[in-house]
Amino acid sequence: MAERDAEIVFKKDTVHKLLSGFFKEEKTKRELYKSCPDLSDFPQTVCILVVILSLNKSLCVTVSGDAALLMAEMLKIFVEEAAVRSQKQAESEDCDEVEIEHFEKILPQLLLDF
Amino acid sequence: MKMSVDKDETLQRLKAAVHYTVGRLCQKTGEDHRREFSRQVIAAIAETTFRQCDIFAKDLEAFARHAKRSTVTTDDVKLVARRSTALSIYIQNKSEELNQEQKDLKKKNTGKRKSRETEEESRE
Repeated sequence: MAERDAEIVFKKDTVHKLLSGFFKEEKTKRELYKSCPDLSDFPQTVCILVVILSLNKSLCVTVSGDAALLMAEMLKIFVEEAAVRSQKQAESEDCDEVEIEHFEKILPQLLLDF
Repeated sequence: MKMSVDKDETLQRLKAAVHYTVGRLCQKTGEDHRREFSRQVIAAIAETTFRQCDIFAKDLEAFARHAKRSTVTTDDVKLVARRSTALSIYIQNKSEELNQEQKDLKKKNTGKRKSRETEEESRE
């Protein structure tokens, strides 16, 4: 798995603008700011997606800080698996660059594994 | 109606954010293995990740609702990771790591009495 020192970080302002633009309720905003630490943009993505989905229903669901961090890890692993498997496929076909066909070949198994 | 316009705009921005991070992660993987990723592949991985995130989010929300909670917790995340044993174990370990970090932080911030209570909790 990738090392921590190469952590990819998003500008906090960008994400805060996203959040405040979207959330009408002050309470939800405050809860989310509290619960989403600024490690990468994936926690915020997951929080926002969950809230978007639950808006259609009567109950509003929020995400705890730890759950958001864990989901960020999962998404990161997903991307890394996709990248490494595609790269290995390109390697087995003796190609210099990883092309879309390599990704297409590993996609079914990737989706089944997750 | 304004809500749905804002929602679309937010989704677009989120997609762009995911695309950016995926690009960076692919770049790093490319450097590690000396094979570059074409722009098409990065876009495809980003799109797939975004859709997978949607699936995860739906699952997480369903699990939380099923447990009659209004907050998604780490237990819900562990359930989402159940399909692959290796992934499941990795997430379990990460979760314990996070718990341990929080407990260490608690011990630092509060006095001796509080740290004794924390030790009793972890034994349970």
